[in-house]
Amino acid sequence: MTRRLDDVAVGEELPELRRVVTREDVKAYADASGDQNLLHQSDAFARGVGLDGVIAHGMFTMAHLAACVGAWAGNPAAISAMSAQFRATVSVGQEIVAGGRIRAVDPEARTASLELWVSSDRDGATEWPIKRSEATVRLS
Amino acid sequence: MRAVNPEAEGTRYPDVEFFVDPVRVAAFRRIFDQADGVPPTFLTVAEFDVFPGVIADPAVGLDFSKVLHGGQEYELLRPVREGETLTVRARIDSIRIRAGTGFLAIAMDMFDEDGAPVARTRSTMIERAAT
Repeated sequence: MTRRLDDVAVGEELPELRRVVTREDVKAYADASGDQNLLHQSDAFARGVGLDGVIAHGMFTMAHLAACVGAWAGNPAAISAMSAQFRATVSVGQEIVAGGRIRAVDPEARTASLELWVSSDRDGATEWPIKRSEATVRLS
Repeated sequence: MRAVNPEAEGTRYPDVEFFVDPVRVAAFRRIFDQADGVPPTFLTVAEFDVFPGVIADPAVGLDFSKVLHGGQEYELLRPVREGETLTVRARIDSIRIRAGTGFLAIAMDMFDEDGAPVARTRSTMIERAAT
């Protein structure tokens, strides 16, 4: 069921969605999406361009964020707009945490505007693979 | 040395048909633990049907071995339906070079079988400067 307009309040936070990114996840995403860039499959190739090893697709992280929004909205298809900039790489083995907040509700259009982010801890420092991402969700 | 060519801005590519394959949607959803619906980010599968044409376009001159995905936007005018076929119309929306780094934005408009617009996407590719 798509989330109801009456059940949404400005300032409310979405439940966080956490996941440790595995090599198998990244390969499954490459096969499902068609993005077979070697940066996401070969440690040797990734090291050759200055990375520590295989990284997740930016879109893997964004799809994880969309899953967080979809779970809150009750249906991934309720997302009518979404944008993100990829600001930090995510390595295999890293945990990513998706979150968000309701920024505005439009009762006429029956939509909610969300501010979204994905954070990750790397060697004790917080990185933001996605920050200040935006989405619009249709409400019932 | 290859580098993205700003003069390719505005290039339009031939329409490509994209089948919203329920098997592929299910595989995509499974990775992200979703029960139903087509996630908006699934549209990137359609983008990958077009990117090879852009990457191989000598007028664009992109060096894909130096490319990172910089950003992504989706706008859906209605939910995408499993089993439908969309027509994907792509163009190079902008090309900028800053300090040797190239920023290439590819925009796509997607239409349904009745010709009605369904979705728009915009992908920004970053081509790192040669070292």
